[in-house]
Amino acid sequence: MTSRNWTLRELLIVAVLGAVFGVLYLAWVQVWLVAQAIFGAITMDVVMGFWFIVSIIAAAMVRKPGAALLSELLAAATQVLLGSPAGLLLLVTGLVQGAGAEAVFAATRWRNYSLPVLMLAGVGAAVASYAYTWIRFDYGALAPGLLVAMFVLRCASGALLGGLLGHSITEALYRTGVLNGLGIDRDKRLAPA
Amino acid sequence: MLSAFHPLPKLVVCLVWLAASIAMFDAGFQLAVIATVALLLIVAERRSPLLVIGLMIPFALFGFGFFTTSVLFRQDSDFALQMARETPLHGEAVSAGTVLFLRAIACGMVSAAFVLTTDPAGLLKALMANWRLPPRVAFALFSVMQLLPDLAREAQQVRLARAMKRGRLPRRLVGPVEMWSLVIPLLAFAIRRAGRAAIAMEAKGLRPSGRRTIVGAPQWRSGDAVRAGGALALLASLIALTL
Amino acid sequence: MAWASTVTSVLPRPEPAAEWRGVSVAYPHQRRPVLDAVDLALGRGERLLLLGPSGCGKSTLLATLTGLVPISVEASVEGDIMIDAVDVTTRGAADWASHVAFLFQDAEQTLCGMTVADEIGFALENRAAPEGEIRRAIDAAMSALDLPPGWRGRWTATLSGGERQLVAIAAAQAQAAPMLVADEPSANLAPEAAQRLRRVIRRHRGSVLLVDHRLDRLVDLVDRIVLLDRDGRLAAKGAPRDFFRTHASSLEANGVWRPLAARLDEELARNGVALAKPPLTLDELLRQLPDIPASRRATAHDILNRFAKAQTAPPQDNSGDVLVELQNAACAPLFGPVVLPDASVSVRAGELVAILGRNGAGKSTLAMTLAGLLRPRRGRRIGDPAGVSFQNPENQFTGGSVADELAQATASCPGAAPSCEELLAHWGLQGLERRHPFELSHGQKRRLALATLTAGDRWPWLVLDEPTAGLDFANTETLVGHIRALAAHGAAIVIVTHDVDFAFRVCHRAIVVDSGSIAFDGPMPALARDTDLLRRAGLEEPSIGPLLSWLELEPQC
Repeated sequence: MTSRNWTLRELLIVAVLGAVFGVLYLAWVQVWLVAQAIFGAITMDVVMGFWFIVSIIAAAMVRKPGAALLSELLAAATQVLLGSPAGLLLLVTGLVQGAGAEAVFAATRWRNYSLPVLMLAGVGAAVASYAYTWIRFDYGALAPGLLVAMFVLRCASGALLGGLLGHSITEALYRTGVLNGLGIDRDKRLAPA
Repeated sequence: MLSAFHPLPKLVVCLVWLAASIAMFDAGFQLAVIATVALLLIVAERRSPLLVIGLMIPFALFGFGFFTTSVLFRQDSDFALQMARETPLHGEAVSAGTVLFLRAIACGMVSAAFVLTTDPAGLLKALMANWRLPPRVAFALFSVMQLLPDLAREAQQVRLARAMKRGRLPRRLVGPVEMWSLVIPLLAFAIRRAGRAAIAMEAKGLRPSGRRTIVGAPQWRSGDAVRAGGALALLASLIALTL
Repeated sequence: MAWASTVTSVLPRPEPAAEWRGVSVAYPHQRRPVLDAVDLALGRGERLLLLGPSGCGKSTLLATLTGLVPISVEASVEGDIMIDAVDVTTRGAADWASHVAFLFQDAEQTLCGMTVADEIGFALENRAAPEGEIRRAIDAAMSALDLPPGWRGRWTATLSGGERQLVAIAAAQAQAAPMLVADEPSANLAPEAAQRLRRVIRRHRGSVLLVDHRLDRLVDLVDRIVLLDRDGRLAAKGAPRDFFRTHASSLEANGVWRPLAARLDEELARNGVALAKPPLTLDELLRQLPDIPASRRATAHDILNRFAKAQTAPPQDNSGDVLVELQNAACAPLFGPVVLPDASVSVRAGELVAILGRNGAGKSTLAMTLAGLLRPRRGRRIGDPAGVSFQNPENQFTGGSVADELAQATASCPGAAPSCEELLAHWGLQGLERRHPFELSHGQKRRLALATLTAGDRWPWLVLDEPTAGLDFANTETLVGHIRALAAHGAAIVIVTHDVDFAFRVCHRAIVVDSGSIAFDGPMPALARDTDLLRRAGLEEPSIGPLLSWLELEPQC
C-alpha cells in the first residue's frame, strides 16, 4: 500500500539524485560546449535529453507525485551552487523541464512507469523545454527549417537520452538491491514475474 | 557588505536584477550590470579581481553559443552576404547576438555574486524560519551537502580499485568514459547512505510537521532595508539611463 | 538540568524502562525470521550489553525499540514492545526521540551535514526546546566530551572519522533522553577517544543498551549481558562475571567475542585449575594466580604460555625474496599533499606485515604506494604490483553477480584456474552465485573480495586495508586462517589496521606511521613492549600485554 506522503528516506534519495546528477549535468555542459564548437548550434538539441534524466530516474524509483519535478529542481539548485554558467535562471529551466516530465506521469495518474511511458516523459520534458527556450531566446526570429529540426531532435533526445537511458540506469540500480522498500520495489514484487 | 545582507531579501533583489537583465534587450545595460557587480565584488567584498574575471569566463563561453546561433541562423541574416562583401560586421543579427552574449555574462555574474556571498546553512535556516520551507527538505539538502565530499572520496577509492584490477596506474583526471562507469556504484553508495541518514534523523526527532526551534537563523537588521532599497534604486537608475 | 524534566519521576519505579515481549521480526522475502520470540526487559538505570554473531538481529532489535522497524525499515513485527509501559506503536519513531537516544553503527557517516554546534543541538531543535536551553546543552555536551570550543562553527564534513564519531556521541548526550542505545559506538574511536566514551556511558543517568565487540574495554561497565544466537533467539543472560563462565560453550558455538581473561579462565578450568573469582580482565586473573595450589602451578604456567603463544604471531625468517621496495619515496594520495616525505620500506615473500598508526597518519597512503597504485612523488618504487582489498569491499566489485565477479577474476589468471564452485566452497559463499555483490553481508563481501584477489595467483602479494572492520569473532577467525594459509604459500601480506590485537596475532613485523615518518619497522613483540612509542603513535597496548609482561617476569617453575 502506498501512501501519498513522502517518507524522509524518499526525500533524501531524491535530494541525493538531484545533487549527483547536478554534478553530471554540469559535466555534460562541458561536453556540449565542445561538441557545439565542432558541430554547430544544433548540438544543444541533440544532447539536451540528458538534462532530463534525473526526473525520469527519480520518478521511476519513488513513484510518487512530484518526484520528477523536485529532482530536476534540486539538480538545478546543485548546479547553481557549483557555479554553473547558466546561473540562478537555471532554477526556472529545471522547474520547466521537471514540470514537462511530471505532466506525463500525471496523465498516467502516477501509476505507469513502463519504458514507453518513461520515454514519453522524456518527450514531455523536451516539449516544455522547447516552449520555454522559444520565449527566452527569441526563437521566433530564427529560420523555420531550423526550428523544426530543433524540435524533432530535442524530442528524440529526450526519449532516448532521458527516457531510455534513465530506464536502464534505474534497472541497474534495482539489481544492486539498494532500492528495496521504495515504490519501484513494491511494484516489481507485486507484478507477476 | 553583501555577506552581511540577509539572504532572503538578497535573493529577491538578485531575482529582480535578473528579471531586468532579461527584459532589457540593450547591450549598454548589460555592460552596466556586469560592471556594477564586478565592482561590488572587488571593492565591497574584497574579492580578487582575477577571481571576478575568472568567473566571467564560463558565462562568456556559454554566451558565445547564443552569439553564434543568432548570427548564423537568424531568419533575415545577411551574415554570409556581409562576409562575402567583406564589409564591417554590423546589422541586427550581430547586435542581437552581442546582447545575448552580454546578457549571459550579466545573469551569470549576478548569480555568482549571490552564491559567493551567501552561506548555504544560513540561507536554508532563513528559508525555514521565514518562508516556511519544510524542515525535512532543508535537512535533506544539508545531508546531501555532507554526502558530496564523501562521495568524491568514495569515487577515488573506486578508481584505485579499478586501476588495481586492470593493472595500470590511475590517471589523475577523470575522463568522460570513466566518469560514466562510476555512476552506478556511486549512486548505489549514495542511495544507501541516504536511507541510513533518514533513519538517523528520524531517530533524533525530525518530524514532517510541527514546531521547531532554529538556532542561529540569520537575523533581520536595519541595514537590510537600506541595502535592498539601494540596490533597487541603483537598478532603476541604470534602466532610466538606458531608456 | 534540562533532562530532569523528561525523567518524570526521581523514585525508582518497578516497571522496566523498555521491554520486548515475544518479539519476532521477519524481513520481507527472507525465509527465516531475524528475531524469534525475544523476551527482554531493560531495567531503569541498568546497563545492558547485547552480544551475538553478525546477522543475529542485534541491530534489528535495537531498531524495533522506537518503531524504526517496521515503519522506516520494512519488516513484519509480532509481539509487544514497550517503553515506560507504553506500547511503542502508539507514537511515531520521531516522537520517541525524547525518551531514547540512538547511536547507530557508523554514526559518523550519517551526521546531518551541518556545523558541529548545529549537529549537537539537532535533537533539541526538533523538540522545539527554547534557544537558551539548546545553547546550554550544546556547551555541556561539548565539555563532557572534551571537544575543543573551536569546533563549534566547523562543518562536520571537514572532520575525520574518529572526530565525527565524537560529535555523534555528543549529539546523543545532548539529546537528554533517559535511555541511551548504542550500536558499536567504539568501532572507529582512537584509544583516547574511547576513554571519553566510557566516561559518557558511566555517567549516563538512565538506562543504557549497548551492542559492542570490544569487550575488553566496556565489560566492567555493564550490569548484565544477554546473548542472541544465530537464529535470533535469546540464548543466555546473566551478570558479567558469571556469564562468561556459565555460558562459555554457547558463546563459542555462536562465534562471539569473549574477553581474553574469560577465555584464559576457561582454558585453565578445562585443565583443572579453577580460579576463585571469574576474572573480567587479565590483571584480575593474574592477581589470583598466587592462590593456585602449588601442585597445579606448573600446569597453569604451561597453559598461560601456550595461550600467550596462540595470541602472538609466530616469528618468520627473513629469507624470502624482496617483492617490493620503496626508496626514499614521497607518498601522497591522488589529490593531496605529501604525507610521508621520505619512506624506505621493503617487503619479502612470506612476510606478514602490519601497518599501524593513528587515523590520518598515512597508513593507507603508504600501503597504496607500496602496492603500486599511487605513484611516489619523489624517490622510487621497485617491484611487482599487489592485489589490494579495500576498506569498502564494494569498491572493487564490477560484476553484476557473485558468479560474474569470480569469473572475471579467474579469466585473468595466467595458469589453470580453480572453478567457480571450488572458490565458492573454499570461501564459504555457497548458494550466492546469482546475488548481486552489493546485496551480501559485510563478512560475505570481504570474503568475496579476497576470493577474487587470490583466485589465480595473479598477484604475488596482497595489501589488505582494514580487513577486520565490521567483522564479528567467527568471521575474524576465518580471516586469520585464510591469511595464514596464503602466507604459507609464499605470498607476502601487508595489513593496514587499527586493531592492535589482530595485528599482534597475525603479523610478526610491524611498521608504525606517525607524524609524517615511519617511527618503527621491526618485530611486533618489540613494538608491544615499547609503551612510549605506542602512546606517541596513538596506539593501545595489545590486550595480551599484561600476560606477556607477567610471563617475562615470572621465573619458570
